[in-house]
Amino acid sequence: MLRPSTHRLLLLLPTATYRTAAFVDAARRLGVDVTVASERPSTFQHANPGGLVTLDLSDPDRAAAQARAFAREHPLQGVVGVDDDTAVVAAAIAGALGLRGNDVAAARAARDKHEQRTSLAAAGVAVPHFRLVRVDEDPRRLAAAVPYPCVLKPLRLAASRGVIRADTPAQFVDAFGRVKRILEQAGCDRSILVEDFVPGREVALEGLLLAGELRVLALFDKPDPLDGPYFEETIYVTPSRLPADEQRAVAACAERAAAALGLREGPVHAELRVNGSGPWLIELAARPIGGRCSGALRFEIRETGKGNGETLSLEEIVIRHALGMNLPALEREPQASGVMMIPVPGAGVLREVRGVDGARGLPLVEEVVITAHPGQELVPWPEGARYPGFIFARGGTPEAVEAALRAAHRQLQFVIASD
Amino acid sequence: MNPAEIRITAEPIDTGRCKFVVSEPVHAGGVRRFASPDEASGSPLAEAIFALPGADVAEVIVSGNLVTVVKRSPVPWQTVGKAVGEAIRAALAGAGPAVVPKPAAAATPGTDDDALYERVADLFESQVNPMVARHGGRVELIDVQDAVVMVRMAGGCQGCGMADVTLRQGIEAMLQQHVPDVKGVVDITDHAAGSNPYFAAAKK
Repeated sequence: MLRPSTHRLLLLLPTATYRTAAFVDAARRLGVDVTVASERPSTFQHANPGGLVTLDLSDPDRAAAQARAFAREHPLQGVVGVDDDTAVVAAAIAGALGLRGNDVAAARAARDKHEQRTSLAAAGVAVPHFRLVRVDEDPRRLAAAVPYPCVLKPLRLAASRGVIRADTPAQFVDAFGRVKRILEQAGCDRSILVEDFVPGREVALEGLLLAGELRVLALFDKPDPLDGPYFEETIYVTPSRLPADEQRAVAACAERAAAALGLREGPVHAELRVNGSGPWLIELAARPIGGRCSGALRFEIRETGKGNGETLSLEEIVIRHALGMNLPALEREPQASGVMMIPVPGAGVLREVRGVDGARGLPLVEEVVITAHPGQELVPWPEGARYPGFIFARGGTPEAVEAALRAAHRQLQFVIASD
Repeated sequence: MNPAEIRITAEPIDTGRCKFVVSEPVHAGGVRRFASPDEASGSPLAEAIFALPGADVAEVIVSGNLVTVVKRSPVPWQTVGKAVGEAIRAALAGAGPAVVPKPAAAATPGTDDDALYERVADLFESQVNPMVARHGGRVELIDVQDAVVMVRMAGGCQGCGMADVTLRQGIEAMLQQHVPDVKGVVDITDHAAGSNPYFAAAKK
């Protein structure tokens, strides 16, 4: 049933992640033994003590001590975090156990938006002008002192939750109050990053760091303008339609940013804006792309000689790297590919999604995954951070893929009870 | 039966697995699983699906009005699904049964599917279900075929963000320990229909 393996991977899977199936499947395909670590105990933990462990994922140092104790009984050869928080925990565990990974300080710098901005600006990486404010400061006084347009951001929330653009002092005051409420609701740091809004086309870079060298795995265009006031993402399409020289500049900017933060190993996901001044680093995370979006990526297996159309997933590459296994060519398949994070259609309780079969039947559409369940409350941005589903498409050109994603989305009808 | 009147809905589970819901009964004799073209021999529906060019079908599971297809090919379900639908329609419109009944198992005490079923059912009742019940979940043993266990998750497990962990690190590991003759576990749950998952996912 399970193949014998000489590798045991510690996979840090928070219970609310979308990434479970992709990583568990990838480990099985590679024949790797897995220990799944979550912040809450599995009901099977006593039945499979080598395969399941509970770690305090909110405290990297404590989690590292727990992992060290676990590894005495079950030796580990690699550790992978799947999101912003577990990237820091993975770094702490890697340091404690002598595994491949980043320094904790580097992972922490990537995790915190203010710390990241500070490090990048000091290294000369192009980032928006920024300042840190406290939620107990007077928003009217702050509003009179910031340039417009500006963007208010929580330091540690994911998926652009709580990120709001303000074009006027009045909008700033409104946005400030809203971000403050979101922070209180999330129970996190009571600081807000206020930075210049950078106009331009936004792209996302997926990469893998090998001893500090950035290998670009994919560059996604985000064809829907992300100009605010909220920043819910929608479509990612690769390959990018940016000119080749701009793509090289984006990659160089991301590599400089990773180096400035001290990141040297593993996956990175960077978001940049490109305008007449060149690329601007908006955010760089020491983790792979979030949500279900990695399903848009497939990589060719050429070095292993299979060459029969079989492909590797992003998760297989991340696991191979963490365990020091041979890596393939790291080249994406030739086809264009894309994913749409389905926008939240409105506030309320989801009753039903219609038109899924019709969307699946459209040319180039490969998959429509509805991740919201009937009865789930849908919360629009900026308070929300959960997409109701994902659409995937592949085709000959990025234009065709983008059109297919939009066509599939038009087929969907969300039935929501708003009472 | 007029093939044009048969309605088939494709519900991809992931890039490798897709469930086809058919408006007509396909096989009333429990679950049948075909893991190779040889095993499909004699059952026109499974034969036709294994023969689809370019799909590299690895497995066909038929139960009631459900046909689950597992493929190795990266060809999208949007392409393969139409061909599977045509194969299902053609098989149901044929003169004979689309799927023949399961042949009698070889009489090897302790290793045949019926014996495995009993042992797996005992394990589910005594250990697996009491464990998942703590999270409001339930795991139904659907069948055992060729030593492969087919399960359906319900309650808090259906649609749960950690369902794959429960399946692989929990159920499969327990089967490996307690019923080592089991060769694999297949989850045929429609997780998208789960209305009360214990853990719901959020981005990043």
